[in-house]
Amino acid sequence: MTQATDTVLLRDPLHQVSPRAVTYWRVSALMGALVEWAIAIAFYVLALPAIFEGPQRPWWALPLLVVLLVVPLAHVLFMPQLRYRIHRWEVTSTAIHTRSGWLNIASRVAPLSRVQTVDSTQGALMRLFRLSSLTVTTASAAGPITIDCLDREVAQQLVHELTEITSASEGDAT
Amino acid sequence: MSAAEPPWLRLSPRNLLIDPVKVLAQFAFPAVVALVGISQGDRGMPWWALPIVVAGAVALGVIPWLTTFYRTTDTQFQIRTGLLNKKTKTAPLDRVRSVDLEASLLHRIVGLTKMQIGTGVDDDRITLDSVSRQEADGLRAFLLARRAAAVATSSTVRTPLAGSAPEGPEWPDDPSRPTSDLPGERDGDLARVPPVEPPRVLAEIDWSWLRFAPFSLTRLVVLAAAVGAVSQFGDELPIAEAAGSAWTWVHQFALSLVIGGLILGGLTSWVMVAVTGYVIQWWNMRLTREAGSLHLTAGLFTTRSISVEEQRVRGVEMKEPVLLRLVGGAELSTLATGVGSGGVTAVLPPCPQAVAGSVGADVLGSPTAMTVELTPHGPAARRRSWTQHLVGALVTIAATLAATILFDLPWWLPGVIAVLALALAALGAETSYLHLGHATTDGHLVVGSGEFTRVRTVLENDGIIGWVVHQSWFQRRLGLATLVATTAAGAERVVARDIPFGAAIRVADHSTPGVLAAWLT
Repeated sequence: MTQATDTVLLRDPLHQVSPRAVTYWRVSALMGALVEWAIAIAFYVLALPAIFEGPQRPWWALPLLVVLLVVPLAHVLFMPQLRYRIHRWEVTSTAIHTRSGWLNIASRVAPLSRVQTVDSTQGALMRLFRLSSLTVTTASAAGPITIDCLDREVAQQLVHELTEITSASEGDAT
Repeated sequence: MSAAEPPWLRLSPRNLLIDPVKVLAQFAFPAVVALVGISQGDRGMPWWALPIVVAGAVALGVIPWLTTFYRTTDTQFQIRTGLLNKKTKTAPLDRVRSVDLEASLLHRIVGLTKMQIGTGVDDDRITLDSVSRQEADGLRAFLLARRAAAVATSSTVRTPLAGSAPEGPEWPDDPSRPTSDLPGERDGDLARVPPVEPPRVLAEIDWSWLRFAPFSLTRLVVLAAAVGAVSQFGDELPIAEAAGSAWTWVHQFALSLVIGGLILGGLTSWVMVAVTGYVIQWWNMRLTREAGSLHLTAGLFTTRSISVEEQRVRGVEMKEPVLLRLVGGAELSTLATGVGSGGVTAVLPPCPQAVAGSVGADVLGSPTAMTVELTPHGPAARRRSWTQHLVGALVTIAATLAATILFDLPWWLPGVIAVLALALAALGAETSYLHLGHATTDGHLVVGSGEFTRVRTVLENDGIIGWVVHQSWFQRRLGLATLVATTAAGAERVVARDIPFGAAIRVADHSTPGVLAAWLT
């Protein structure tokens, strides 16, 4: 996954997120895909004949339908593993470093002395999988750092640690 | 330093002259509509309604003066407002970040000015509308000096002399002339003012800069609005038939003449609008450094006076829009935290590039950051720039082709569009690559960007509060990245697009030593 310059200059953060995140991402992707499939099929079966006034559909309708069915399927099948391989995080005593994304990848680093708030959030579906996301914000709108889908216990522990470190630093962090 | 509570002060009583006028101005339109419009019908508003409206406006206008009180204690600036819901706002004196004065023409006639005091990062600012000019100048000097004193604790006490000789060459009777060292009569406060070193002038308006005004397109909106208004008005006139016959006449005789006249007229009015706007906005412009703050005053009718604590100024941005660059001009803004209006403040009008550069260097306190040669982002970045621009052009061409076939448009149209789109894409691709670049100096990160406008953004290393390295799938194939330095100042991010990945890490490590240390290999 990583390229030569990656390993030479910046090593990956140590920790992976919870393995249950794969299932969680798959389930939420599947829920999105079901909606997309329903819309695509409804459009093909009901809307097209109505628009073209007859059972004869234009030549481009079938390929379009196939694309609309296959793309969400590929997303459901491949995105979760890819994302799990890429998502990583590490917190040292001075800085936090995360990597996220799957097609587009973003690495984020912030010194803990500039951290303003530490929040953890848990959606309804995430609760089902005992997952929790952690967000660290700085004084910049461009700077929030999120670690998605941590084990709930790990997240709680991390919030505790981060709050302790950041409350020790002084200044208004701008 | 006395233990007694300082008394609450009121706004200037001269507000009683202008506030009712302001309220009336707000009500004028609906009131006139009500008076004229309704009285044309049967159930007209009776004549005696007029005094009631005026009296109501006066009453409303008096309320702010009656209900607003402010004072400075040893540690805080406090303001109390509200008729029914009383509200007290306080600002710790050592947290005051910026003090802005603004006086509209109406304010200036009666010698008043509006004050805005900025404190924290995202806090809303305290507004004092309005106090007398002497009061405002004294209070501003006091607030800034107190903050400076809180920062640098060692200081000897000296009371500034009142009415020191006003400097600043022309306009001796202009009430707006910056008199920053005229403290006024606030003995109680001024006794506590620590020494104020004389303001150092960083830049003053030079009217030869007026030549850049027509090349700055920021006021094009004004002209467009005027044209829009005129054309709207033109539609109302009964000239439709006349225009028809006129058109045939024009067509026969003087089409080129008319077109030439229109272009000439357009250009003339553009130059007039641009120059007038420039003069109104930048009249008497003066940028000074005083007691640890940057201080900008400008304006012909509405005078603005902006003071920002220098610690809050985290960087500068120099922009050279393509037209301005052709004549060697540039614009300069500061990037600051806790100043409102997005944190980006224009501190110079369009002026020679060298002036913008040297003032920028002065503001930064670094001679190199404004002139240092930027490292280009290399052939991969150039290829990506060309690919992106060509794809855009091809999409445009394809769309035009499709439209031509579908709607039976003339055959030469796609050709012309294709040539234009490709030429523009080539130009855009090459210039936006050439404008890319990065450099690190002692204390500053320098980033070049912009497509047709060349932008140089300089950010203090101390103002960087994090890094984001974005890599899209295409960027990863080319070994490129988009490096974002996050900051609380200005637009809250400084972006180096399509920088080689290794260079991105080196830049980040050099600018904030130690932050990346744990992950460097």
